[in-house]
Amino acid sequence: MKVKFALLFVVMLALLSTSALAQDSVVQLTMGSWRVDDVAQMQVILDAFSAAYPNVKITFDPTNPPDYNATLRTQLEGGTAPDLFYLRSYATSRQLYEEGFLEPLGDLTGLMENFTPEARAPWATDDGVPYGVPFIAVSHGIYYNVDLFNELGLEIPTTWEGLIEVAQKIKDAGYTAFANASGDEWTIAEIVFMNLAPNFIGGFEGRQAYLKGERCFNDEHAVAAFQAVADIAPFLPEGQEALTYYDSQQLFLLGEAAMWMGGSWDIPFFESEEPEFAWSVFAVPAPEGQEQAYVTFHLDAGMGLNAASTHKEEAKLFLEWMATPEFATLLADNLPGFFPISTNTVSLQNEHANTFLSLNEGRGLDVRWAWEGLLAGQPDGYTLMQNGALAVIAGTQTPQEAADALQDGLAQWFEPAQNCAK
Amino acid sequence: MSDAVLTEVGQVRERAAARWDVQRRRTWVLFLVPAVIVYTVFMAFPLFNSMRLSLYQGKGLTPETYVGFANYTELFTNPLWRDRFFNALRNTVVFFAIHMLVQNTLGLLFASLLSNVHLRGRNIYRAVIFLPATLSVLVTGFLWTLILNPRWGMLNQLLEGVGLGALARPWLGDANLALPVISLVSSWQWVGLPTMMFLAGLLTISDELLEAARVDGASAWQVFWRIKLPLLKPVIGIVSVLTFVGNFNAFDVIFAMAGARGEPGYSTDLMATFFYRTAIAGEHPVAQPNMGLGAAIATIMFLILLAGVSLWLILGRERDEKTGT
Repeated sequence: MKVKFALLFVVMLALLSTSALAQDSVVQLTMGSWRVDDVAQMQVILDAFSAAYPNVKITFDPTNPPDYNATLRTQLEGGTAPDLFYLRSYATSRQLYEEGFLEPLGDLTGLMENFTPEARAPWATDDGVPYGVPFIAVSHGIYYNVDLFNELGLEIPTTWEGLIEVAQKIKDAGYTAFANASGDEWTIAEIVFMNLAPNFIGGFEGRQAYLKGERCFNDEHAVAAFQAVADIAPFLPEGQEALTYYDSQQLFLLGEAAMWMGGSWDIPFFESEEPEFAWSVFAVPAPEGQEQAYVTFHLDAGMGLNAASTHKEEAKLFLEWMATPEFATLLADNLPGFFPISTNTVSLQNEHANTFLSLNEGRGLDVRWAWEGLLAGQPDGYTLMQNGALAVIAGTQTPQEAADALQDGLAQWFEPAQNCAK
Repeated sequence: MSDAVLTEVGQVRERAAARWDVQRRRTWVLFLVPAVIVYTVFMAFPLFNSMRLSLYQGKGLTPETYVGFANYTELFTNPLWRDRFFNALRNTVVFFAIHMLVQNTLGLLFASLLSNVHLRGRNIYRAVIFLPATLSVLVTGFLWTLILNPRWGMLNQLLEGVGLGALARPWLGDANLALPVISLVSSWQWVGLPTMMFLAGLLTISDELLEAARVDGASAWQVFWRIKLPLLKPVIGIVSVLTFVGNFNAFDVIFAMAGARGEPGYSTDLMATFFYRTAIAGEHPVAQPNMGLGAAIATIMFLILLAGVSLWLILGRERDEKTGT
């Protein structure tokens, strides 16, 4: 009996040591993320990476989105942070870099060649030193019910005024025009106000004028953006004050609402929920007489390298691989609605994702208005824009009052807003 | 026996008694040790640590720069934080008042009815009243958001069905209605607890007292008002304190029905949701939370609770002294 146990013990020891030996040659890395929904999809991408680089294995370890920023910071301060991790764009990750938690990536092969300076900017210093690889962008537009548009004989509107006319026709026919609602307040900020704003403030250049103090946040363009929210307010569903994001999706899916201002990340939801449902998407049209139109193509996530990682060389292999067309294709096909940012042109398998991406052609692209520069103080631009848009919809503020509140709020801490041209 | 011997025996006895006393005290201490350790590690230490954190500032979950009372000054001098703090405090008081008015009054009413031995099906009623309290708040909160949904919710359809369609509202989307509605949902869920406590209190009142009152010609209302209610005073005190503590810490029902921002427009923001947003989640989806400031809010919540409970204890003792018990 004892001999048997001794033998078993020896065998187990041998097994353990061989597996340990096998692990010696494979470097284990972890990747932090806030995308808890993407575990299976990221596994496919990481498996493809391990197939190309058999000696590096990456474990995807996401955190619940609301806790991500605080958790990551605690991990970084305590020395237990993942080797690679998702980076929010602009201020949130800039702070991490300035405090030395992020490795500068100026010498990373392929980073300068495969990404435009605009694409690198959300994860780079003002001098252009990158500390993150641009990773995921999301697009915004107006979803529409193709069958309902055909039934009512509606054309895709090409001007903002045309869009309101279409909405009126839909309402007259007894349907809800827009499925959007204020029950979940962030949706009004991110997929209504910041979706339509670039067309009214003049995209990237217009937004930069605010950030440089050349324009005040209550100028005619900002008022026009809030006015646009007021324009669509009468066409929101009845009881929209209490309808949630999920309710809006269902209203659109059930054909009760003809349009929905939404983001590209919902492509998989609509496709899996109702595969037969015929929907497509068009860009938020520019107001009449304005030739240049814009799309909110938001640079949402970058990938950063932990400055304290013990396997920087191996982690850089992954970051370099992120600049390749192979990675871009894998990302686009596994996570439809999340677009790769590199200049490598990829053809997307997903038809809806392709439609979304085609909206970018001939239009100016810009990120969501509040992200760059306006989140670094209190009250932050995000909350101010959200509260303003909600008040305009509720009718408690005029567009001018909402814009004034935005200007006054930002002027409490944001220098360009304090010194803007009157 | 001589006196000397007697004294000696007495002394020995005294000493033995003293020794036994000391031993018994030691044993008591031994029995207390596990509870004290658990209490210290899991209650006292985190409590004092969170008070300590309120004097620090930093970006992560463990702020490290000592700033004195700067977090408190910021909370009460920066109009942004001050407005949200007092808004949350006001909402919490309203939330508590509605629970006292609705939940505890109904609890007393139900208990009075259930204490009637002639009531048929008492056990069924008791189970039905207590049932919601056994469910998770997240579950009941979600169910009520479905019932109250303006588009496909049962309540508005019911109102329309009986010809009261004009009363239909987006209940949770109206800044004036959302807080009362959520308070009522919470009262509905927890009404079973005060009912049980009042019922237990009513059952301890001796029948002789009630019978004597009836013989003296007291009406049912007089019996309730003059005999049952005064004898229930201690229970009413405990129920009030438990409601106070529970309501000033309430978070789950708001989180389930109105989100962490106390939507719409902070109208349902309670102290606990304000704390959660400030310390843990951040004001918007990509915000960086402020743990030091959050700890300051938590400390103020603790002080409010401490003041409330102490007040109850002091008032309780004064009353006991007056009645001589």
